[in-house]
Amino acid sequence: MRIQRLILTFLAFLLGPILSRADDLLSSALPIEQAVDHFIDARLQETGLQPAPPASDANFIRRLTLDLVGRIPTLEETRTFLASSNTSKRVELVDRLMHSPAFVRHQATELDTLLMKGTRGSVRPYLLVILAEKGSWDRIYRDLMLPDENDPKLKSAAEFLRQRVRDLDKLTAEVSSIFFGVNISCAQCHDHPLVADWKQDHFFGMKAFFSRTYESGGRLAERETGLVKFKTTKGVERSAQLMFLTGKVVKPDTSKAAPPKFSARAELVKLSLQPGQRDFFARAIVNRIWHRFFGYGLVMPLDQMHSENPPSHPELLNWLARDLVEHGYDLRRLIRGLVLSRAYARESRWDKGEVPRPNLFAVARVRPLTPMQLAVSLRLAVTDPQTLPPMSKPEELDKRLQGLEASAADLARSFEQPGDDFQVGVGEALLFSNGVAIEKDLLADGGDRLLNRLRRLQTDDEAIDLAMQTILGRLPRDDERKLLGNYLKQRADRPAEARRQMVWALLTSAEFRFNY
Amino acid sequence: MAPNRHSNFCGSPLHAMDRRNFLGTAVAGAAAFAADMTQLNVLQHPALASELKKQQKRCILLWLAGGASQLETWDPKPGAPTGGPFRAIPTSVPGIHISELMPQMAKRMKHTCILRSLNTRIGDHGGGAQLMMRGRRDEPNLKYPDLGAVLARELGRRDSQVPDYVSFYFATEGRSMAPGTAGFLGSRYAPMELYTSMVPENIRRLDSINDLDHKQRAELRELLSKQFAQGRASSSLDSHNEAYQRVRGLMASDKLFDATQEPPKVRDRYGPTLFGEQVMVARRLVEAGVPFVRVARAWWDSHGQNFETHQELVPELDHVMAALLDDLQERGLLDHTLVITLAEFGRTPKINPSLGRDHFATAWSATLSGCGIQGGSVWGKTDAKGEHVVEGEVGAAELFATIYRALGINPQKNYYVGSRPVPLTEPGTKPIKAILA
Amino acid sequence: MKAIKDIPINGIAFALVRVPSSNRLLFGSSDFQVYDLDLAADKSGPKVLGAHQSYVTGLALAGTLAISGGYDGRLIWWDIETRKQIRAVEAHTKWIRKVALSPDGKMVASVGDDMVCRLWNVADGKMLYELRGHHERTPHHFPSMLFVCTFAPDGQSLATADKVGHIVVWDTASGKPIKTLEAPGMYTWDPVQRKHSIGGIRALAFSPDGKYLAAGGISKIGNVDHLDGKARIEVFDWQKGEKAHEHIDDKFKGLVEHLVFHPKGDWVLGGGGANDGFFLFFDLKTKKALRQEKAAMHIHAFALDEKAETIYAAGYGKIQKLEV
Repeated sequence: MRIQRLILTFLAFLLGPILSRADDLLSSALPIEQAVDHFIDARLQETGLQPAPPASDANFIRRLTLDLVGRIPTLEETRTFLASSNTSKRVELVDRLMHSPAFVRHQATELDTLLMKGTRGSVRPYLLVILAEKGSWDRIYRDLMLPDENDPKLKSAAEFLRQRVRDLDKLTAEVSSIFFGVNISCAQCHDHPLVADWKQDHFFGMKAFFSRTYESGGRLAERETGLVKFKTTKGVERSAQLMFLTGKVVKPDTSKAAPPKFSARAELVKLSLQPGQRDFFARAIVNRIWHRFFGYGLVMPLDQMHSENPPSHPELLNWLARDLVEHGYDLRRLIRGLVLSRAYARESRWDKGEVPRPNLFAVARVRPLTPMQLAVSLRLAVTDPQTLPPMSKPEELDKRLQGLEASAADLARSFEQPGDDFQVGVGEALLFSNGVAIEKDLLADGGDRLLNRLRRLQTDDEAIDLAMQTILGRLPRDDERKLLGNYLKQRADRPAEARRQMVWALLTSAEFRFNY
Repeated sequence: MAPNRHSNFCGSPLHAMDRRNFLGTAVAGAAAFAADMTQLNVLQHPALASELKKQQKRCILLWLAGGASQLETWDPKPGAPTGGPFRAIPTSVPGIHISELMPQMAKRMKHTCILRSLNTRIGDHGGGAQLMMRGRRDEPNLKYPDLGAVLARELGRRDSQVPDYVSFYFATEGRSMAPGTAGFLGSRYAPMELYTSMVPENIRRLDSINDLDHKQRAELRELLSKQFAQGRASSSLDSHNEAYQRVRGLMASDKLFDATQEPPKVRDRYGPTLFGEQVMVARRLVEAGVPFVRVARAWWDSHGQNFETHQELVPELDHVMAALLDDLQERGLLDHTLVITLAEFGRTPKINPSLGRDHFATAWSATLSGCGIQGGSVWGKTDAKGEHVVEGEVGAAELFATIYRALGINPQKNYYVGSRPVPLTEPGTKPIKAILA
Repeated sequence: MKAIKDIPINGIAFALVRVPSSNRLLFGSSDFQVYDLDLAADKSGPKVLGAHQSYVTGLALAGTLAISGGYDGRLIWWDIETRKQIRAVEAHTKWIRKVALSPDGKMVASVGDDMVCRLWNVADGKMLYELRGHHERTPHHFPSMLFVCTFAPDGQSLATADKVGHIVVWDTASGKPIKTLEAPGMYTWDPVQRKHSIGGIRALAFSPDGKYLAAGGISKIGNVDHLDGKARIEVFDWQKGEKAHEHIDDKFKGLVEHLVFHPKGDWVLGGGGANDGFFLFFDLKTKKALRQEKAAMHIHAFALDEKAETIYAAGYGKIQKLEV
């Protein structure tokens, strides 16, 4: 392994100057996953750190399934994957999951959270349509900023602006954060005290693109003119120009009174995607997607992408951003590349002393499940795996999974959306320990439930194996088998109850709660 | 662990800080006090009880939701055209007068400092509640923890067997505008909120499982999870296990919420209203080591019939607050417990045609009593009609800095969001030293 | 209805009496003063007769003797000719809400938030009776309020009414209760959203034949932060203990603060308001509102002239003379 990597690095070193362009980036022809490992490994070598070994197949399929389709794998999926000796089975798994309709649904949920967190609205219906068509990130950006409310399929995109139009400061700050990875809200009242990049002109320059937007009779509208005025800290009143974060200014064309209509928002979209201006847009989404799959951004915090806060791997970020632009902002391509990297597929356990800094990506991060990942996984885990349609009938299986997702939405509302440094509250532990919904619903033992199957199994060993494999996606270790065996044996007088409690302990285990 | 120099919010190495040290302070700062504090009988051992009292500071917030009138409570203007019909009465502290609706508090003025000079500018319920519960307004990308969450963090123990932030808010009006919130501190410090029942949600074992099994399945869970945690350094992961470890202790604390556990004499003292009962339970909770309890009394929003509304609500506040201060004092807890009255704002001096007063954040009052406070004092002054602050203007930040200082917490202490340092109060905010004991 | 005189005042006028057959008024105000106002004498604004130590909310006039009551709990006797205070009596331990004069002018009744009605001898200020029949607390443990009292035309009966809509009719000769009536629709307790109350009976009037007793206030309110309920008048055939009519106004919201019967009993006039004011003419025969008129301000008290053609009204920031 190590030698292989050394050779690769050496080759890259030799070929780099020949293949790369004037900007000294690694060749754009390289697959994404190789570029990722090239830069990550180079940094590890500099620090003399040996990364964690690759995750086991069982670990990998669980991580990947949660990340790509938002749930744990089914028993059959796990068994099939573990049994396969195909050397390209990980690539095939990635492609199978990414081509399933569940990928679109999960991606829509994740992007909806990014776009609409903290509002009461959702653009998920729009995202489902556009992602099913393999719509690119710049397309989504355009549709959100310039929504077409006349197209019934796309009109829910308008929620992005509608939920924020009554507070233009918030709209300005959130657009800057979500699409450009910068938090300029401090610059609202004064030039940023610590970051030379951000002046009041930036905040109000960005606000000028939105100041003409308003809601009228429930529909979004935009005036052709309108000035943003602000007072500097020295008390001077100024009018804001239409100015992008790069400092580039749009001069409104007021010479023509007749159409084409001048839309400040359309100008922002146009300008922010121009060569020389689009770095913010491309780097921000690369960093966010990276953060989603690695649990830590190349730039942290995610909305502090400015000159005083450089990325941990600047060349990698540049490479990925360039790749994204060159391939039409295709997030699927980016995601596929990230999850095929070795860096993504490392173990999350670190037994070699001091834990490496997270920005080295030497060991996989333990990531709390999102509310939907957790709720759907719980629903799936308590389902008797034999009642699921087989993988050979993917449409039927997906239909069933869709049903589970629908029934998980309510439960998902009991959980908090994790942010960085997420802390599990005692409310969640109390809910699982004493909640009626958990007891009556998740731990029910009729019909198609796992507990119904477990109850009928003859031996405790069989029950332990099936429960572990269904819920945690792996077989028990010896110590675990012994621990669970003793627990069940002590309750031999009430085996159904005992098995229910075992299932509870597995569902509430840290291993289930996290993507590791 | 080396500091993440590359990702400082502002690039200053001063702010680079080991996150684990940062988390560690919460544990290290807490009392090394091993007794299970859910057992009230601990308090019957005088030595233990006094030890506990020395160790821990706590806070009860009487949240006068909707906005109580300063003119009918702490800053009367009798005879002014804006003064309304109530008289001012002298208190036990010479020179301090309060509304005649508060005769009991007038006798107990020595415990209390009145701040008459709040100018907080925000006059809508949602914005005002956010400001006055958090000491500042959220940034678009940063949600701040409120007072309760900060105190849970600063005064509670990470492995506490009692809840560390309890909030009562039974009236429905304004509740969603003033939720308890842990902001960036995360749900570990989120409040245990009681909306409809005096028993916290999910605190009682269901009948479908016996107590031994309930306990042992939790032990089984813990054993499985501990193995998983080995070699995996994550504060989120730690918090998950800690949350489950607190469950059994919290379940044992359900008696703390049971008002009938108090002798009739004590219950009578707090009176027959829901507010009285909840404040009494708040005392039970802080006595058992809960660092922060909010009791919301809604709804004071007297746009019509201000005087009649205050005739109902102020005597209740007067009675219940006096009972609380007496009770805390008799138990030796008042020196360690800060009692706050606060709202999202006060009410307009102008009396409208419905004989109401409207929202007013320009010149209004709050009180601090007990722990760390110079009792029998008044800070700040409003003009003759109560329309403006003329002395000692105080904003939300100064008020919060003062509260933190009274509880022995450095108001400039930094929290870290990622690697961005976030001080408890805005940089440069000074507590009001003159009213600190 | 037409305003023919409009006198702006500082504060809020809560109580008003008219010197019979004249344009001279006395009114009590939120600036603690009792004023004397002669509308006939042009441009001479209100003159101060004297002062209480809080809002002046009750006034009675017996010849040249005026008796005022206020939130300071005092009753003060004034000679309106010499403009001198004659005596002051500490009449109630809490706010005096209203003062009423017996038809023969010999007795004055006062009600206050101590929930007691007291009858006084006009001539010497001695107390005759204490009438106790109203609970000090609402069913929800909060202080109640005794808002209003009024004498029957024959002077033998007196009615009092409180916050929760409880009405007692008393025998003025013995000081004993004769009848109790309930108008719970006048009181709103919000047990869920806001946990406080609003409302109460604010006005009472006997019909000229003494058969009917009208009570005024406000209907049930959704949002008790505001006077956001329909104006309400209930009319009782009080000796039978029956409710004869119930008028829930379809045009105006707010409290009916004052009620006066037409001298012949043709209608009863209610005045009141919320943020705005109104007058309601209610016909007892047809059980309908004859007229519903917007007033220039929230009305707290008013008086009719002898022909019921002119209204003298007192309220928020104004004294008005109107022609019907």
